[in-house]
Amino acid sequence: MHVTVVSPEQAVFDGSADAVVAPAYDGQVGILPHHAPFLTLLGTGVLQVRQGSAASRFQVAGGFLQVVGDAVRIVAARVDAA
Amino acid sequence: MAKPRELRRRIKSVQSTRKITKTMELVATSKLKRAQDRVIAARPYAAALAEVMGDLYAPELGERFPLLRQPVGSSRRVALVVITANRGLCGAFNANLIREARRRIEQLEGEGAKVDLHLIGKKGITYFKFAKRPAASQRTDIGDKPRAEHAPEIVDPLMAQFASGALDAVEVVFAQFKSAVSTPPTTLRILPIAPPRAAEGGKGRQKVANYILKPSAEAILDQLLPLYVRNQVYRALVETAAAFLGAQRTAMKNATDNAGDIIELLQRTYNRARQAQITQELAEIVGGAEALKG
Repeated sequence: MHVTVVSPEQAVFDGSADAVVAPAYDGQVGILPHHAPFLTLLGTGVLQVRQGSAASRFQVAGGFLQVVGDAVRIVAARVDAA
Repeated sequence: MAKPRELRRRIKSVQSTRKITKTMELVATSKLKRAQDRVIAARPYAAALAEVMGDLYAPELGERFPLLRQPVGSSRRVALVVITANRGLCGAFNANLIREARRRIEQLEGEGAKVDLHLIGKKGITYFKFAKRPAASQRTDIGDKPRAEHAPEIVDPLMAQFASGALDAVEVVFAQFKSAVSTPPTTLRILPIAPPRAAEGGKGRQKVANYILKPSAEAILDQLLPLYVRNQVYRALVETAAAFLGAQRTAMKNATDNAGDIIELLQRTYNRARQAQITQELAEIVGGAEALKG
């Protein structure tokens, strides 16, 4: 599935991934390929984008996560390297 | 005719001016490239916000969110955020922004509204101080590289005032960055938020109605609306910064070209003056020799 992570200043990540673990407002959510359309608010925490055994990690705060089709979009008000 | 020595001095002076303007042009060009990249890099976020707001928005929700509330009748109190550059040497860039701001102020006051000025950038502050118009707030610390954190600092207090009903509208005067040479000054109304059009997603994109929403459409919109407002301010800052550098590059390029023309003209005058002097000296020598012969 295709994953993009965008902050107000730039697109931080754009690529394919096997799994996403994101800090939603009420706890962690894991997104695997072929997830149903989904829209949730983000809290504060570490976002992981996994591809095989590698994982990209970002510290995010605020914003939302959107799943449409087989694309995941994380739109965060703040993104820092974790 | 001017003395050759005087002309030589002026040529030197214009040459050093040209060296300075040429350097400023090059500096502005390289900064412009990076500023332009920032404008482009900010687009995916804005597009994502607009799209999701379009998906979630329903007209009946409008009543429930203070930030979406359209004022009844004419506005009584409006905050105008005027973004200008901190520096000059950029042609009519700042003057155009100030003119747009003045036009908008007159228009709003003509409609009977009180206008609070929020000035960003030294040039705007200097002008309105000169015009003896007090500003509600002013800051000069945002230079060529606005950051996303600057936007909430500017707009969050205004959002709070708007939500409490103390303000009826918030508008931003900034330079839209259409391209490096087209940067029209623009007034954008950021509050109340214009209801997103359902067609916002673009061609062929269907509105996804069956999202799983957590916690709920209202709660998500409640978080999204402030992000959207902040993003509009951030974009205004970034675009103005890029537009300023574009204007400065153009102004410095013109200055460099003009200096080149002046140097050419002076050089020609100098050569002619020098030649005239030599001719005259020769004529005097020849005249003197003739006189001695006689």
